[in-house]
Amino acid sequence: MKTMNNAIINFKCKVALLFLMSLISCEKSLDVSPKDQVTDNTLLASTGNADLFLNGIYASLPDVYNMQESEDAWTDNAMCGYVYYVSRALINKSVYTSANAPTYWTQYVNIRKCNLFIAKVESSTLPDTWKKLRLAEARFLRAYFYQLLWIHYGGVPIITEVLDKNSQGDSIFRERNTDGETFKFITDECAAIATDLPVKPAETGRATKGAALTLKGWCELFEASLLKNPENDKTKWVLAASTYKSVMDLATYSLFPDLETMFFEGNNNNVEVIFSKAYLGGTSLGGSKEGLWGTRIVGGAQVGYGAMNPSQELVDEYVMANGLPISDPASGYNPQNPYVNREKRFYQSIIYDGSFWLGYEIVIKQGLGSRNATDLSNASGGGTNTGYGLRKGLDPKYAINGYSRLNSAGFIIFRYAEVLLGYAEAQNEASGPDASVYDALNKVRARSGLPPLEAGLNQDQMRVIIRRERRVELSFEEKRWNDLIRWKIAEINLNSTIHAMYIEKINNIWVYKIIPATDGSRIFYANKNYLLPLPQGAMDKNSKLTQNPNY
Amino acid sequence: MKKFREYYEKTPFKFLSEKTIRVMKLTLLLSILTISQLWATETYSQMTKLTIKLEDVKISNALREIENQSEFFFLYSPKLIDVEKRVNIDAQNQSIKDILTDIFGKEVTFAVSDRQIILTPNDQSEVLSAYQQKRQITGTVTDKNGTPQIGVNVVVTGSTLGTTTDINGKYSIDVPQGSNSLTFSFIGMVPQEISIGTLSQINVTLAESAIGLEEVVVVGYGTQKKTSVTAAVSPLQGKEIASTPITNLSNSFGGRVSGVIVTQTSGDPGRDASNIYIRGISSTGSTQPLMIVDGIPRDFTKLDPNTIESLTVLKDAAAVAPYGVAGANGVILVTTKVGKTGAPSLTYNGYIGFQNPTVLPKFVNGYQYATLKNAAAQNEGVPLPYSDYALRKLKDGSDPDAFPDPNVWDLITRNAVLTTHNVELSGGTEAVKYFGSLGYQYQEALWPSTSNKKYNLAINIEAQATKTTKLSLNVNGRVEKAAYPSILPGRIWELLQYVNTKRGPLYFSNGLPGDKIPASIFGSGYDDVNTMALYSKFSIEQELPFIPGFKIKGTIAYDPTIVMDKLWRVPTHIYSIIDTSKHPYQYKDAIFDQTRSSLNQTFNQYNQLTYQASMYYANSFGKNDITVLALVEAKNNNNLSLAASRRNYNLDVDEINMGSSSQADMSTSGTSNASRQVGYLYRVTYNYSNKYLLETSGRYDGSYYFAPGSRFGFFPAFSFGWRISEEDFFKKIGWISNLKIRGSYGEVGALAGSPFQYLSTYDVYGPAYVLGGQAVQAINSRNENNPNITWERARKRDIGLEVTFLKRFSMEVDYFYEKRSNMLVIPDVIVPIEYGIGLSQVNAGIMKNQGFDLSFSYNYSISKDFEVSLGANFTHARNTLLKVFETPTTYDNPNRRITDRPLGTQFGFHALGFFQPTDFGADGTLNQGIAIQPWGVVKPGDLRYEDMNGDGKINNDDLTVIGNPETPQFIYGISPNIRYKGFSMDLLFQGAAKTDRYLDRHMVWPFYNAMNAYVDNFNYWTPENPDARYPRITSAPTVNNSQTSSWWMYNVSYLRLKSVTLAYTIPSRITEKIKIHDVRIYVSGQNVITWTDLINYDPEGSSAYGNLYPQQKVISVGLNVKF
Repeated sequence: MKTMNNAIINFKCKVALLFLMSLISCEKSLDVSPKDQVTDNTLLASTGNADLFLNGIYASLPDVYNMQESEDAWTDNAMCGYVYYVSRALINKSVYTSANAPTYWTQYVNIRKCNLFIAKVESSTLPDTWKKLRLAEARFLRAYFYQLLWIHYGGVPIITEVLDKNSQGDSIFRERNTDGETFKFITDECAAIATDLPVKPAETGRATKGAALTLKGWCELFEASLLKNPENDKTKWVLAASTYKSVMDLATYSLFPDLETMFFEGNNNNVEVIFSKAYLGGTSLGGSKEGLWGTRIVGGAQVGYGAMNPSQELVDEYVMANGLPISDPASGYNPQNPYVNREKRFYQSIIYDGSFWLGYEIVIKQGLGSRNATDLSNASGGGTNTGYGLRKGLDPKYAINGYSRLNSAGFIIFRYAEVLLGYAEAQNEASGPDASVYDALNKVRARSGLPPLEAGLNQDQMRVIIRRERRVELSFEEKRWNDLIRWKIAEINLNSTIHAMYIEKINNIWVYKIIPATDGSRIFYANKNYLLPLPQGAMDKNSKLTQNPNY
Repeated sequence: MKKFREYYEKTPFKFLSEKTIRVMKLTLLLSILTISQLWATETYSQMTKLTIKLEDVKISNALREIENQSEFFFLYSPKLIDVEKRVNIDAQNQSIKDILTDIFGKEVTFAVSDRQIILTPNDQSEVLSAYQQKRQITGTVTDKNGTPQIGVNVVVTGSTLGTTTDINGKYSIDVPQGSNSLTFSFIGMVPQEISIGTLSQINVTLAESAIGLEEVVVVGYGTQKKTSVTAAVSPLQGKEIASTPITNLSNSFGGRVSGVIVTQTSGDPGRDASNIYIRGISSTGSTQPLMIVDGIPRDFTKLDPNTIESLTVLKDAAAVAPYGVAGANGVILVTTKVGKTGAPSLTYNGYIGFQNPTVLPKFVNGYQYATLKNAAAQNEGVPLPYSDYALRKLKDGSDPDAFPDPNVWDLITRNAVLTTHNVELSGGTEAVKYFGSLGYQYQEALWPSTSNKKYNLAINIEAQATKTTKLSLNVNGRVEKAAYPSILPGRIWELLQYVNTKRGPLYFSNGLPGDKIPASIFGSGYDDVNTMALYSKFSIEQELPFIPGFKIKGTIAYDPTIVMDKLWRVPTHIYSIIDTSKHPYQYKDAIFDQTRSSLNQTFNQYNQLTYQASMYYANSFGKNDITVLALVEAKNNNNLSLAASRRNYNLDVDEINMGSSSQADMSTSGTSNASRQVGYLYRVTYNYSNKYLLETSGRYDGSYYFAPGSRFGFFPAFSFGWRISEEDFFKKIGWISNLKIRGSYGEVGALAGSPFQYLSTYDVYGPAYVLGGQAVQAINSRNENNPNITWERARKRDIGLEVTFLKRFSMEVDYFYEKRSNMLVIPDVIVPIEYGIGLSQVNAGIMKNQGFDLSFSYNYSISKDFEVSLGANFTHARNTLLKVFETPTTYDNPNRRITDRPLGTQFGFHALGFFQPTDFGADGTLNQGIAIQPWGVVKPGDLRYEDMNGDGKINNDDLTVIGNPETPQFIYGISPNIRYKGFSMDLLFQGAAKTDRYLDRHMVWPFYNAMNAYVDNFNYWTPENPDARYPRITSAPTVNNSQTSSWWMYNVSYLRLKSVTLAYTIPSRITEKIKIHDVRIYVSGQNVITWTDLINYDPEGSSAYGNLYPQQKVISVGLNVKF
């Protein structure tokens, strides 16, 4: 019996020992690998895998359609409907500092991704034809990111390799390259890759030869403009014109017939689109421009933040249907009935009192209890500050308040109309208003039902027309700020007040009165605001950086 | 006979220390008695021949060697047998008798009984024969009320002979001839020694011992007697909280336990857990303590309070070292109830409570809103938005549709119900003990779309399967059904603050909704979260009688949790009047947000499997008590999630299959992950004469977080205790019954950050972009890896003092100091932003944290019927960042430096007050010498900031410290209790101090983002009110006045009557008539009264712009019945 007990105890001891042993061998069980991550080997295992990395770089293009305020709110085209948004609180009043200014410096994250992709793919054994194409795409994207930096900061450090703190030590801290070097880098890159890129992409959304040349032309146009070309070196204009001409000569692009629906998701990547940022509604990739920029209250419900209020200044730029500007006594413009017989683009772009949106008449008159009435109390988020709402590019289908992310419409970065207008501008500056200038402009105007320009305009008259045409045609497409800057007219146009349309009943008659918009005053310091300040965070971490003047 | 007595008095054969649980002690005693019955047989000893060669060894070692080589073991007293003597042994195949004769010569007599050998000095050999002559003594043990006491130890004084009382308090013991007295002892009772004389029956009444001294506290992987604990440990008894109307156990610590800092930031049913910081915050990484339920790492917060036996907070290194890498932030041990020996006991505990917010913001009404708006417009020189007519209409309320006066608080539910019911069954025999509990809790909320139902089931069974084998099975299940509206409470709370007269009424007079808030609360769909959590544990404990005091234990716990989330959103309708000039008003319907319904369903499964195997040894050698624990633990977690969604429902049927069949309207997602941990731990305690206590413990711990080679860390701790009150010189001081000094030092690890930072890998995600019109996946580089990443190390020091005097006062005070090194911080300042990639964390930060905690209690019985007691505790913890990555911009500016300041120190501009008209010249420009503020033109009534560096302009270089960290540095509780006959009153006052909160946006500024204003905002600056609370009124906050500044920093110190319980126990002479043992009725309150300077918000909130479901005040009525 005792032996039996001992046996049981012995057995139990052995079980316990086995148990302990089994735990001790558990050390190996710490080998867990994450299931949502892949290694270098996987990355370069096939072209398909490597493509995924490039996809991520494409995805890094600025997400304009989910920004509460686009750059147009910085300009005289519009003011933001919210008092505390960056554009109204900081930019419009020029009170921004290196600590709080909007930053493009984060593009270096995307630049690193490009550099990494280029380095990995170049040294890989993947097929050469694939390599050539994808490397060109990555270089295009990198050039685009550098363009954003160059326009806003001037010269920036040009980094084309993958920085490594362990092997490079202090050389990861770089000085700024000069403005000229940065410009040259971008345009050289565009020139170098243009031949490697296809005219027509295998998949829509990828970089093309046209995109590379348009980017090059745009940078050259910027470089030729007064800001960077105070001596008005004509060869710079010639260069820009010829690059734009080469895009036109591709004979791939043409104007889409309808400017209004061109921006809708059904017409993504249409004949006019050269390069765009893609969206996918219903996912995290969907766009929300209607909910953010669209008119706030429609039919009683809030369907948008109303963050983009077009200015009276912009409205006044839309010519009459007969092609004459409203300032022309022959135009037939009636200030007490200002919204009749205007050009087509006005009705496509602006929501005004009496217009219809989502099936509702928009009432911006005072005293009717309408929550869209002009907000004179400067109450952020009330009605419109200017008496206007944004319509251009907004799809009524997606007029849902806030970040709905339902719209699949792409944000067009470059379209053919800009090429035509850019060509016309450069050519006019280089050699005056020749037939090709007229031709380019008239194409754009004809699409919107405007008659051809009268013949015999001189260079200055043509410049005025080109600039108005460009402002109207490309409004709310993130072009205006750059134009104000490069033409060096920001110090004039942005040292003034944005105006609003105030409609009130006097003696039983609705009277239209143009008033300064509440909080519509603007300040622009010519000695510093043509460039943004480098972010303080970047300055703090890299003592080799120099700040832009007067910040 | 005298000699015999001396023998047993001086030589206790204590095989187990008092620390060991009673049952085990008993079993061992029984086994020794069994051994003595085998006295006469000599078979093994005669057959066994040993070969031993030892030179110059202690006899004790020689005997141990014999034990090792054979199955013999020796019983002897080292006091009487000189085992320190050194001997030489050279035995070749000799019998045990021959060997022992060689060793001892004639000095010692040895009696061999099979495998047991008793050694006695030769001159006392008669004891051996006396030992075998016994007589029986029986009796009953009761307490002062006459209740039989079960399980009381009855031991022949000075011997190992003993038994315990049975279920009726009866015992029976055979005592050897010459035994002098019996000792009766039981946890929580004063031990008694009764002289035997010629008695054959001894009945004893045990008195309860002075507070605390015999208390057993739960420590990591075991229990210890309170008196012999050398670590900083704070217990909280489950019964203290079972009757309070709390919904989450994490909310039960505030003010009740020293060393614990808590903040409860939300009162949302099911999401109202507190943040718990044991001894404050010691790391920039994770700061939450480890939670252990019945020895297994598990979340305790949603257990049924009725099933909790105790909660124990482990604070210092000595206490947490057994948890190694998981212990640095302190540990909370929760022990659930187990069955008690005795007849089945059935109890019911239930209450119904009514909840209301502790505080609601006081918004302006419609008329006040309009006057405030007009004042702002007047200030800004723009037309007045409200005409006299409108003001009149708003004031008289005659047209509530066009001139509404919405009051959001009309929408919320008052006196929302909170009710809890629990039935508990407990009982058992020495062989099997059982405990079962079923609990139900239902909680309503501020709106009917939120509610929480919780069912808790607990079953604990303990079985003494054999004399030496104990099994226990432990199951604790929870089903929780939480219902919420489809939007989060933060968003609802934000929407509530938008409501104002300009936006329209909540409802028009015809009943149509006029604002999005009613629909958001009542009709936006739902978010149902159903949780099924099961904690199951099986353990087996085996004593090994041939090694006295040794036992092994194996435990396996499997804890699956399933969470199902179903989010159904429906379009919400809002009506408005388009044109108020047309009568009667025409109402238009519009849809806010999505126009069609959508459904998201998520399935999450979390599985945790924990294994533990341990060896425990406890023994006494004279006055030396030793315990040794060794344990291996492995924890495997496997989680998965799966989700599906559809949108654009044509039919409003809330099933996935009923949704749109368009591919674009469907989505799925899913992932899984695993984590692993393995640890080897030990604890050795040594106790000399109950005076000098030494303990060391540690853990060698490994985690999957890090690269092979960096995975394991060793974390040891040492502690000591000196019970001065046990010293002879001290015993004269009668009024101090306990005085102990203890100290500890140790290192613990902390698993901060995230796993796999050592790997250089890429994330895969999708949909990432659209190419060719199709959604595509993408790969993205993760942060630059750090192959060397490993644990944070916390070095903790603690010195504590425990004192009890006059048997009524007891106090425990600890000073602690912790230095966290290897702290995981992101070294982002060492690379430029142009580097273009984030860096993984590195083990580079250093932080210290120090403070003290103190607890105090006082008990006084004025008479048998009248008792008062007072408890109090204070905790102070202050941390300092000693090394973090900081840019020169802040480091070189002493006002802005983060290093050398507490983590979370708040920076901003120092507001000097308002610009006054005298600060401006006649042309409206600022006077010379006043620093220029860059945020637009300033006017009288705007905030003026201090130019810290005197450069004449305000910019970021002028930032400075404007507030303490938000987490309180000081927290305290005071709990007076009174009991008179059947009545009792328990109060708990709890407070916090040295805590500042920055309030901004709509929490303080009127009309921020077109939101509402508070009544308090009327106190704005005017030339006539130059010392106002708020700047000049503007239609929206100006950039200048909304800079982060000291002006908006609030001291959120508070004191609150955290809980109060008034109870009456109906005398048993009444209840006995209806066959009920005990009936207690009580009224209880939680967060009853709060004293604070903060208005409109609860001081325990956080800085999330006030968008938090408010803390609740609960008043409840309860009933406690014991059948």
